[in-house]
Amino acid sequence: MFCKVSGEDSSNDVRRRREIAYITNMQNHRSKASQPLSGVGIGLRTPHYRELLARPRCIGSLEAHSENYFGDGGYDLHVLTRLRERYPISLHGVGLALGSAAGYSMEHLRRLAALVRRIEPALVSEHLCWGAVEGGHFNDLLPLPLTRAALTLMRARVMQMQDVLQRRVLIENISSYVRFAGDEYGESAFLNELAARTGCGILVDVNNLYVNQCNHGVDAAAQIEAIAPDHVGEIHLAGHLVTELAVIDHHGDRVSDTVWSLYELALRHFGAVPTLIEWDTDVPALDVLLGEARSARNRHDALACGASCVA
Amino acid sequence: MRSRVGRAVSLERLQADFAAALWDGDAASSLLPALDPGDVRSAHRLGLYRGNLHGAWNTALANAYPVVRALVGEGFFAALARAYGRAHPSASGDLNEFGMQFPAFVHAYARTQALPYLSDVAALEWRVHRAHYAADAPLLARERMAVISPHDLLVARFGLHPACTWLQSRYPIATIWRAHQSDADVALPLTLDRAECALVVRPQWRAEVVESSTAEIAALAQLRAGGAMDDAIGAAFDADAKFDFARTLVRWLDLSVLTEIR
Repeated sequence: MFCKVSGEDSSNDVRRRREIAYITNMQNHRSKASQPLSGVGIGLRTPHYRELLARPRCIGSLEAHSENYFGDGGYDLHVLTRLRERYPISLHGVGLALGSAAGYSMEHLRRLAALVRRIEPALVSEHLCWGAVEGGHFNDLLPLPLTRAALTLMRARVMQMQDVLQRRVLIENISSYVRFAGDEYGESAFLNELAARTGCGILVDVNNLYVNQCNHGVDAAAQIEAIAPDHVGEIHLAGHLVTELAVIDHHGDRVSDTVWSLYELALRHFGAVPTLIEWDTDVPALDVLLGEARSARNRHDALACGASCVA
Repeated sequence: MRSRVGRAVSLERLQADFAAALWDGDAASSLLPALDPGDVRSAHRLGLYRGNLHGAWNTALANAYPVVRALVGEGFFAALARAYGRAHPSASGDLNEFGMQFPAFVHAYARTQALPYLSDVAALEWRVHRAHYAADAPLLARERMAVISPHDLLVARFGLHPACTWLQSRYPIATIWRAHQSDADVALPLTLDRAECALVVRPQWRAEVVESSTAEIAALAQLRAGGAMDDAIGAAFDADAKFDFARTLVRWLDLSVLTEIR
């Protein structure tokens, strides 16, 4: 009995050393992409393909939804490959459903890995969510109970993802309509733990924090301040829709004033991390999106200038 | 160890209960005790996720099947999408794969029996949808064809573009498809009692449908199976003694059907 325990201790030591080496390796990982992400970017959406191809560089970076480029070839992949020559690209996954206890697809991860090899993006991100069961995929970002069991599963999945992709990934907080009675962590604490245990970074979606504040009464400012700044690799901003039943994170409008204020708080807390404007439904003219990006960049630059002036 | 397994099972159980509540609005009773008891709106808010699910089905199918949608109308299509999603839930995190069994589903679905051509139109649209994402291929240079000797042409084995597929139907599916494009060059057929062969090609980046013939399809089937051009011509003439090879070859070059000589 005691022998077993001491045996476990020593193997745990070995495991822990391996973990530390792994985490250090992931944190030090340098992207193979030639251009790192910086400043402010926008989501790449089909209606803007032609204009972005025709115009000289007009924004800091572009973010593509990974699954839209899972084809073997064709126009979407062609456009992304062309734009990659001009812009740093981040690949933002919406379909891996990392926290699915059953129905998780290694095949999906392999297809993502093939895309990552092809595009060599500056950054790869996914969500703190689940989305599939044995009988099917919901193609949605469903909320995980924030428990130790969920953390154990997410830790294994994120480590596997980083191993297969051979790079550090960022994991994003999501908006949700329901929460679970058995939660053992706040979302920020959960993400801090996940980042500390896997070496992954955190993608902070400020709009999602605000949506959850409206839906569940969780203080968004406090959540921002609870996230360890060292882990934060990117910020997402988007619009939302207020309904009687809930605030919906529909990515179909301008960033609201309250979310801009929270963004300023986030910049003060995290520093001038790369920021991205998402717009997915009723996609407006490119110039509207670029205008939103300019609003973000003014705040971003003000902070960067303020920081350097102080220094 | 036991507790770890126990917890893993409970997460799986929780997600299975969540899934049941999304598949069926009346099946939320197992999930509700696990949700935040302080929020009385939880049960209603599950409906938002259900709405997302139905919306995802409808959007993904509308993207792959715009002509079927135009033929049956938006409202009926949404109902069809919901019935299909229940029968064939998405099996992938990539929604572009959702809808593969839709043609067969439409064929068997009681409420579309009055539109017997609908499942063939759907089958054609699925080929167009997949053609959009098919691998790129080097195109055959016209200069190469200009200098090839008749003998070399006959023994040559050509690659077919990965996006190139075809479908034969008892109905005028190619004409129906083309009549629904924004730059339509044909009108909707007045009579549906006419068989048609449809060829799916991707000459630039956009997948298109052109009307084909049994002879052309017989030839393409030979080429795809690895046969020489001579075999393809033979198969085409077996199907139709009036097959015009010279014109067909030019058309294949125009439509980027042929890739390289292997």
